[in-house]
Amino acid sequence: MALTTFGAIMGFAAEMVGQSGNIYRNLVQQAKDHGLKETLQALSAEETKNHSLMEKTRRENVTEMILEPIAGLRKEDYEIDLKTEERMEDGDLVRIALALEEREKRFFSDASSKLPLPEAARIFRKIALRKQENITRLQNLGLNQTLKKSISA
Amino acid sequence: MKRVKNYINGEWVDSKTKEFGEVWCPATGEKIGEVPFSTAEDIDQAVQAAKKAYWEWRCTPPLTRARYFFKLKDLFENAFEDISRILVTEEGKTLDESRGEVRRMIENVEHATGVTTLMTGYNLEDIAQGIDCTAERQPIGVFGVIAPFNFPAMVPWWFLPYAVVSGNTYIVKPSEQVPMTQTRIFEVIDECGFPEGVINMVHGAKDAVNGMLYHPDIKGISFVGQSSTARYVYKACGETGKRVQSLGGAKNFVLVMPDAEIDRHMPSMITSFYGCAGERCLSGSVLVAVGDVYKELKEKFIAAAKALKVGNGLQEGVQMGPVVSKKHREKVLGYIEKGIKEGAKLILDGRNIKIDGHPDGFFVGPTVFDEVHPDMSIAKEEIFGPVVSLIHVKNLDEGLRLIENSEYGNATCLYTTNGKTAREFKYRAVASMMGINLGIAAPMSFFPFGGAKGSFFGDIKGHGREVFQFFTDTKVVIQRWT
Repeated sequence: MALTTFGAIMGFAAEMVGQSGNIYRNLVQQAKDHGLKETLQALSAEETKNHSLMEKTRRENVTEMILEPIAGLRKEDYEIDLKTEERMEDGDLVRIALALEEREKRFFSDASSKLPLPEAARIFRKIALRKQENITRLQNLGLNQTLKKSISA
Repeated sequence: MKRVKNYINGEWVDSKTKEFGEVWCPATGEKIGEVPFSTAEDIDQAVQAAKKAYWEWRCTPPLTRARYFFKLKDLFENAFEDISRILVTEEGKTLDESRGEVRRMIENVEHATGVTTLMTGYNLEDIAQGIDCTAERQPIGVFGVIAPFNFPAMVPWWFLPYAVVSGNTYIVKPSEQVPMTQTRIFEVIDECGFPEGVINMVHGAKDAVNGMLYHPDIKGISFVGQSSTARYVYKACGETGKRVQSLGGAKNFVLVMPDAEIDRHMPSMITSFYGCAGERCLSGSVLVAVGDVYKELKEKFIAAAKALKVGNGLQEGVQMGPVVSKKHREKVLGYIEKGIKEGAKLILDGRNIKIDGHPDGFFVGPTVFDEVHPDMSIAKEEIFGPVVSLIHVKNLDEGLRLIENSEYGNATCLYTTNGKTAREFKYRAVASMMGINLGIAAPMSFFPFGGAKGSFFGDIKGHGREVFQFFTDTKVVIQRWT
């Protein structure tokens, strides 16, 4: 499905961060490593804030004068398999978190260049940068060698 | 089934009428509510409440009055999505358009909070030896707005916040076709806690309108609607000695020059003609291809119009909703028939559009007529629907003559990459709101909104800095103490 309006893009963004937030809350329960647990908690809290930010951005930046069709964004390009299981190892949790952060980084980065509204585009760029930081953070978690191998596998 | 109430003196009250109108959801064609056709007696009740509240409110310091609006802005932010969705449900526009409208409503609240600088007068010492002069702006009394259906949230707020923050008291009469949006807005006003009687709302139709126009205690009226009614309102206010700003209809010409960046600006052109299903006084209506841009413009415009996603505005991603009512749909379809009869060539026909799951909705698809002659009805009259008349002219002069010959002068737009052409257009075109490489020339709250010729009757337009003059009397005080 093509995302051709400002509202559709913002709605999808809110849906995506909301979905990630829900998954993080599930992953937190399963994490065994203390550092990983803290990181997932932080990511969950961040997504709650991002969800509010998306709603605020949609509300405050919608510009009736330039509600022009937007081209080049499709929902299906950002769909990933979000299946989680009840009992997962820490390595699996990190892999899922990385997939979520990668997806959001890609979406916010792509969408920022399509939005005709500078303030909304700036917020999207900022989130994309933050997502890159999260990716680095997840990759650098002080996990033991076995886990590291498991993640890289 | 919701039956809306009037809001008078800080309370929700039933009208004394026995006549009620129906409120419809244009996307589904279902009846969703009822609206009282309030009487002149209801209007008088609101005026008496507003009159009673006036003096204490007028004596309230402007900054204190502004603080109510700061609070109101926050409450509107909280209710933003709810108001937007109600608006879509009863008016038919898309969610994005609705959110954009509510945003503009709030922008007027934000602008009005600058009352402490915007309402000030001026002074000069020694206008004669030892004599000083001040010009002070004072509120006047009870004002009111009679609002149209197409922007049910925003239009009353082009006037209300400025009137009230200046110390006047106020009555809103929403369009009887879309009373629910303003009703939700008044729930927020109620929550905000304005003193009783400062802001009131009376629903209704003709009797309510006449009740306002001929009430001796209403000092001024703001009206937005079609030109025939705007002219009527202007005359009535003249007879009764009221201040008046009466905004009428439009027939807007969008000129595209051969040097225009068509691909870049096509989304903006499409929004101009089909945004809000063409039901806005700033919509493009006549697409004027200048010189040899005609063929390319026609092909690309048709392709873009065909690609528009039409549907229920509540569905995110829909780009054009239905028109407001069955009756209005018939009017728009009537114009399409007229265009065919008068000899225009229908090259995109939106008459038989089918929307999945919405068999009874009031939809008209994007429509384009080619080979339109300036004398045809579809080139001259306000259609207020998604119907585009394409006219081919030789040069800018010929395009400007089309604008000059129109009885309306609300808005016009030009697409060009040539600054000289843009300057010439800006200088000569007789329309008060103008877009250059922009399809919707909508002044924001801090600039005036209103047209020329048959599109506007009065002197001071909606919002902007000047609107404070409409809602205040300039008292000149000349003093000698030496």
